[in-house]
Amino acid sequence: MLRFLLYRLFSTLLVVFGVSVMVFLLIHMVPGDPVDMMLGESARPADREALRHALGLDLSLWVQFSQFMSGLVRGDLGVSIHSNRPVSELLLERAPATIELALAALLISVVIALPMGVLAAVRRNTLWDKGAMAFSLLGVSMPNFWLGPLLILIFSVGLGWFPVSGREYTGSLVLPAITLGTALAAVLSRMVRSSLLEVLGEDFVRTARAKGLPERIVIWKHALLNALLPVITLLGLQLGVLLGGAVITETVFSWPGLGKLTIDAILRRDYPVVQGTILVISVTYVVVNMLTDMVYGIVDPRIRLGNPK
Amino acid sequence: MIARFLFVLLLAVPLLFSQGCSQPDSNIIRFGLSSSPLRLDPRFATDATSSRLNRLLYERLTDFDDASRAIPSLANWQQLSPLRYRFVLRPNRRSFNNGERLTSADVKTTYDFVLNKKNASPHRSSLVLIKYVRIIDPDTIEFELNHADALFPSYLVIGIVSEKAVQRGVNLDQHPAGSGPFTMRDWPEEGRLQLQRRRDKQVFEFVHIGDSTVRTLKLLRGEIDILQNDLPRELVNKLRQDDSVRVANRTGSNFSYLGFNFLQPQFADRRVRQAVMHAIDRKSLVRYVLGGKTRVAESILPPEHWAGNDAIKAYRFDPGQSRALLKQAGYDAEHPLRMSYKTSSDPFRIRIATIIQQQLADVGIKVELVSYDWATFYGDIKAGRFQLYSLSWVGIKSPDILRYVFHSKAVPPDGANRGHYNNPLVDRLIERAEREADMDKRAQLYRELLIILHDDLPYIPLWYEEHFSIVRKNIKGYQLTADGSYDYLSEVSRQN
Repeated sequence: MLRFLLYRLFSTLLVVFGVSVMVFLLIHMVPGDPVDMMLGESARPADREALRHALGLDLSLWVQFSQFMSGLVRGDLGVSIHSNRPVSELLLERAPATIELALAALLISVVIALPMGVLAAVRRNTLWDKGAMAFSLLGVSMPNFWLGPLLILIFSVGLGWFPVSGREYTGSLVLPAITLGTALAAVLSRMVRSSLLEVLGEDFVRTARAKGLPERIVIWKHALLNALLPVITLLGLQLGVLLGGAVITETVFSWPGLGKLTIDAILRRDYPVVQGTILVISVTYVVVNMLTDMVYGIVDPRIRLGNPK
Repeated sequence: MIARFLFVLLLAVPLLFSQGCSQPDSNIIRFGLSSSPLRLDPRFATDATSSRLNRLLYERLTDFDDASRAIPSLANWQQLSPLRYRFVLRPNRRSFNNGERLTSADVKTTYDFVLNKKNASPHRSSLVLIKYVRIIDPDTIEFELNHADALFPSYLVIGIVSEKAVQRGVNLDQHPAGSGPFTMRDWPEEGRLQLQRRRDKQVFEFVHIGDSTVRTLKLLRGEIDILQNDLPRELVNKLRQDDSVRVANRTGSNFSYLGFNFLQPQFADRRVRQAVMHAIDRKSLVRYVLGGKTRVAESILPPEHWAGNDAIKAYRFDPGQSRALLKQAGYDAEHPLRMSYKTSSDPFRIRIATIIQQQLADVGIKVELVSYDWATFYGDIKAGRFQLYSLSWVGIKSPDILRYVFHSKAVPPDGANRGHYNNPLVDRLIERAEREADMDKRAQLYRELLIILHDDLPYIPLWYEEHFSIVRKNIKGYQLTADGSYDYLSEVSRQN
């Protein structure tokens, strides 16, 4: 396990370096000038140049990159060009909202997908199965920019149950979490169904049934546990994505998370913020995947991480 | 094990949903914004939202009337000579929010800071004509200029900051130190700023909601009390029919236009530009798409501006005349005029561009629409990578804009003459007007200039967009201003 962790730590450092280089180069290659975004159309050329100089944007790309990397080594992600606030402060301010939304969406998706996927597999080709798969298709097909406003119209404006947007009200989390969780639940339920169907045909399930175990035990304890590996992989990947911020959902619901911070920074060409957020998202993704790998060992003791023997 | 896991999950859902939230304070008046304020330090703020909020937090020496003339605000002024101005602070002025009295030392600190090159204030260029600032007494201050400029008082609109706060190194973005009618209460996150009105402690929250539909729904549900501008027409019309809100509008001066690239040979021909002008039905666009109090424009300065010209004869919508001009310029159905039209990716701008594309197609001009996100689009326009583009000039106060946009030496990066327009007569008139110390004569020169520009069409003038507000019925006292400021929040109250 220790060897595995060391290996993953080393590969994480490599990923961070690679991402830093790529993000830095890509954001500087994208057309658009942060100084223009800040000062607007009517700013005078001398003011533009003074600001460019003050922000260090008139330095060569190489010098800017060295400054960025040396800051990174010291744990300094720089200062936002637009708001003049440290990037780390902005990230810390936004991270709780994103974590809250990601966990809630994941929770909703698991609560919906597990029973639905099991039901569809156990009652294959029945109305239950068809209904579950129809929901799955619908969930995958509905874009969040449509589902979000639809939920707002029904549950906020129509029924008045939840606030329209923001994070400051009680129940603010419900609609964005459902919006984000629906698509994930749809994918997850399909995965549970197909994985479980595969396992249900295995010898050990037949043996369990032959031993006279109740069907409930056979399904939930023996079959489902063995069918969970691909589901956990998918959950891990999705959690990584969700922790990176759900741009559309956060925009629709004015949810002050990392996704909104990232997209706003890209549109304003706020280079330090874009670099900082994408770096944090990448590291989060790598860490979540590492944790997912470790969960494999718990779910299936035959898997021993970092031990080829 | 799995059943137990699911049970725990089910229990966790309601717990999660109750985390991190509290009931909103119903006494707070909430204002919905389409973009967040970025800087609350007036020496650096440039974006429209920050500038409007800074007006609530700080006071400035001068301000503008509805004709964009400079008027006294924090101080009255006297021109002692063409190069020297004396400002006397209003005796009944407010103190800073920390209780200290605003004096001429604070004025000097503010302007000295902006003029110091190493501080990189984006306002320095407009003030660089100041030679020095001298304190006469705590209420009186003098500005000595390097060269005469009759418009000088109109440049002194930066919020005055507290000298002591600056000396203590206070971050004014986080802790604004001004003498305006409001003070900052809290800024928990970028999209949520709370200000408190000093006279009665009423709290206002400025909430950024990017999506216009969500902004509207929040207003209808009472989560927001006031909205201003930045909503599609159909949403405004829908809100007009709702009993819980009140819609108000007034004329504005933000100027929308189409710009030509004169480096493209087809646009060097004035007949082509006039053909485009005659092909666009601006009145219908205003009536059916923009509506309200949006006005068809004939020049960059609105008629009510002190240098504006209300005698310019409007171009009429005349497809026949347009086709005739195109034919004279050598274009017909066999050899149609082709052009690309760049606009931003804002859905409303794309919709307007699509209508103009169709109107131009009706006279035989083939237009290809290209839209990019704002930063890319603006970068292309600045670099001259366009044939035809649409944009707006926002918040024009000074006729200096005419040099900045139309003088042949104002090609980027030295100005905003992005189309490389070059007319020696226009250059001469701009320079003459700038040298003229008599404001009436100066205004007359600008009026002549506007007629020449209207005839020559470096821009196709489109319209001046209206300002509108939508306010919940229990909110009283909010009014729109000519420049879209939020100044009337000092009069607003909630009546339960």
